[in-house]
Amino acid sequence: MAPPRTYRCEAIILGSTPLGEADLLVTMFTREQGKVRAVGKGARRSTSKLIGHLEPLTVVNMSMAHGRNMDIISQAEVIDGFATLKQDLTSITKGQYLAEIVDGFGAEASPNPSLFQLMVDTLRVVQADPESDMALRYFEFHLLQVSGLMPELYHCVECRAELEPDAHRFSPNVGGTLCLDCSPDDAHLRPLSLRALKVLRLLDRSGIGEACKLSIDDSLADELKSLLSTTVSYWLGKEIRSNSFLDSLNNETSSEVYTKGL
Amino acid sequence: MTQENISGASPSLSRLVQELNRLPGIGPKSAQRLAYYIIRLPDEEAYALADAVTSVKQNIVFCEECQNLTDASPCQVCSDPRRDRTVICVVEDPLDVLAMERTRTFRGLYHVLHGVISPINGIGPDQLKLKELFNRLTREDVVEMVVATNPTLEGEATAMYIRRHQGREGLKVTHLARGLPVGGSLEYSDETTLTRAYQGRQEI
Repeated sequence: MAPPRTYRCEAIILGSTPLGEADLLVTMFTREQGKVRAVGKGARRSTSKLIGHLEPLTVVNMSMAHGRNMDIISQAEVIDGFATLKQDLTSITKGQYLAEIVDGFGAEASPNPSLFQLMVDTLRVVQADPESDMALRYFEFHLLQVSGLMPELYHCVECRAELEPDAHRFSPNVGGTLCLDCSPDDAHLRPLSLRALKVLRLLDRSGIGEACKLSIDDSLADELKSLLSTTVSYWLGKEIRSNSFLDSLNNETSSEVYTKGL
Repeated sequence: MTQENISGASPSLSRLVQELNRLPGIGPKSAQRLAYYIIRLPDEEAYALADAVTSVKQNIVFCEECQNLTDASPCQVCSDPRRDRTVICVVEDPLDVLAMERTRTFRGLYHVLHGVISPINGIGPDQLKLKELFNRLTREDVVEMVVATNPTLEGEATAMYIRRHQGREGLKVTHLARGLPVGGSLEYSDETTLTRAYQGRQEI
């Protein structure tokens, strides 16, 4: 029997580009099939029934039909539009940061429901608390975990000795933490403070709600951000472009916000 | 489509196909069809097309005021004394100016950003004509700025960035109303559009 021509799935929209006169090429990450690129026929027309349902950072119930080259979106219904998140510039940029990473890590015809749920959960936390960056750190850490790239945090990846409560070193290239006695020739090697190691272990064993209650000082936040985003970038094989705009928003002081450009 | 791929075609025809293939939305087959269409055109029509392409590249400049594309700077709108100079409508692209002009409702000036902030595509505020907008706001006697970016995620993010950085105290910053399109349907509307349409309801 021939496979069904249509199928339904739950998707989070990652982005879209115009296609032809009025179509939209939509990139989405689905719970059931991983990353999917599909065409929304006429979706750019103001009277299209799809318009508004295919905006990035929206969780949607999709009805799709297999096409010759690409699947066609026949129906879309919003489950969660993250309306509050989309009213704040920093939250939007954080959402775009997540979308860029999931677009890079997600593979077509390779379902990863844990990654789908991780992105939805992270967007919900960003929406509830736009100021905190801990949700992004949780996302980066668990993205590595659900992608099979979990860094080693309890034993030295070289000598396998249990890590003492001390400062250590970390490299995504060798797969995690190294004790001070092991010195592989590795350009990605970087110091790892004991405090940062403790937070990474906490991220490992807690849920997103609990992890985001943690309050840390700026220097520790910077160390974790640098370590995790560098590790994600390393596995992605390219720079995360939305990171620099997110940094520029985070670095703005209130006085700059109202005087910049004058 | 490369020159080598078109066996039996002359080098000049291959070159035309190759150049047409670089245009957005034009694939190899469409490029071939267009090329053969151009070959079959009467000479004067083909030369008129070539002349239009040359002329647009030689003559079009950015308007020093609104940054729209124009033959002479300042553009027709900016140099028209009948336009209301106290209102600036900020749009994403030159085509949006044409769309607004078709309404014959807006009589103020424009500012064209030439894109929207799109961190995923590596487009930040520095790649847009935002510095020119903020400089304009300090010079001109502007009372209201209408941010008419598209109601998409990136358009809204750009609008928020402009509102946050415009730096002019007391300036009225507005955006176009959001809601149902003419000919649209409640049944197929998403919750955000319907919510905004409800919030912006008017007495009849």
